[in-house]
Amino acid sequence: MAEISFPLPDLGEGLIEATVLDWLVSPGDQVERNQPLVELETSKSALELPSPQAGKVIRIHGAPGETINVGEPLVVFEVPDNTAGIVGTVPKDDAPKRRVRLSAVLDED
Amino acid sequence: MSESTTALLEAGARDEQSVKLSMQQALNRALDEILSTDPKTVVFGEDCGQLGGVFRITDGLQAKHGESRVFDTPLAESGILGMSVGLAMAGFHPIPEVQFDGFAYPAINQIVCQIARMNYRSRGTLPMPITLRVPSFGGIRAPEHHGESLEALFAHVPGLKVVSPSDPHDAYHLLKYAASRPDPVIFMEPKSRYWQKGDVDTSDAGPLTGARIVRPGRHLTLVAWGAMVARCLQVAELAAEDGIDVEVLDLRWLKPIDAEALATSVGKTRRAVVVHEAPLTSGLGAEVAQLITQSCFDTLKAPVERVTGFDVPYPSGDLEDEYIPNIDRILLGIQRVLEYRRG
Repeated sequence: MAEISFPLPDLGEGLIEATVLDWLVSPGDQVERNQPLVELETSKSALELPSPQAGKVIRIHGAPGETINVGEPLVVFEVPDNTAGIVGTVPKDDAPKRRVRLSAVLDED
Repeated sequence: MSESTTALLEAGARDEQSVKLSMQQALNRALDEILSTDPKTVVFGEDCGQLGGVFRITDGLQAKHGESRVFDTPLAESGILGMSVGLAMAGFHPIPEVQFDGFAYPAINQIVCQIARMNYRSRGTLPMPITLRVPSFGGIRAPEHHGESLEALFAHVPGLKVVSPSDPHDAYHLLKYAASRPDPVIFMEPKSRYWQKGDVDTSDAGPLTGARIVRPGRHLTLVAWGAMVARCLQVAELAAEDGIDVEVLDLRWLKPIDAEALATSVGKTRRAVVVHEAPLTSGLGAEVAQLITQSCFDTLKAPVERVTGFDVPYPSGDLEDEYIPNIDRILLGIQRVLEYRRG
């Protein structure tokens, strides 16, 4: 298993930090991509942050009321080692299939 | 102590050095060891630092070795390779990454006009000990520019060495070897093989130059590299069902090519098929066919066959199974060689 850290992303509009309002997941939860992770409040608005990926949440950073800077760790996921890269899929090593058969008279001269 | 006990103990000691790793993990471990032992090494590229690379090859390396040795770059391959030139001139040993094969095109000027010939241009005073890691070839259903086979392009450039490992053991040792060389090496990682595990003997690299016989056989030699080696091994097993004993030669080094290994193998089997994902025309298969013909012309039973990708841009993921040589196309190539009779 591998750990992947998800830092607080740049929320735009020049915001450099956000305050945790409420966690929507707990350590141990299996989450899907785009599932809401946490409610945050910035100086502009409150928002729900979706998960960037599927995986098991193993750590969360920041109790409700605490402020986190952009780029600081927010969530750590645990994912299987054979998880695909960000682009593409992991190819399956299927049993080889064939239609062509070989026929040859091998003259062993 | 009896002889058999000694043998068992030795086998046990060897086993401790042998670990099961994916190629992804093997490359990560190799980079970690290179960074630990060579203080001049720097590893960088798009997402190589904080994220650990889109394929996790540099995972954890920034945290361990620091932001000055493992770092992210802007999305500008010409800058990544241009910076490599400067770092090499200043005495560093850069290991840059271009995130995907097709992203190497914007850096061709730096690779061909600077990296490949700086040592020559400076009469040996400015060597370029750069190992350029390129996740290469297709097979992962990725979009355009993510599945290209650039080996013939790089192999054509004097001053570059080109290598592609086919399994985790070779990936681990060849990367360490490439990084220890004074010359620039293009290190083509077969991305469709990143996740398959294999035994890596960390203590015994075996030969690091030249080609490698991965399956001995008597009737025909399949020549391949990168991801096609695993496919050719499958084909060899299927051919054995039909009574054809196929030898599989993993070329590994695509520049320089191990002409002697080709001569030895095909000198024995007298038949050869070369397999690659890259398009047919001016692909490396032509070079391999010529080297075989040069050394084995008098004993060859048939012209060397090529089973390759097609002369079209690399297709989208839905079509890549039609593009990359599949088992049946390779078997048909073998059949054409077996059927050939001198006129």
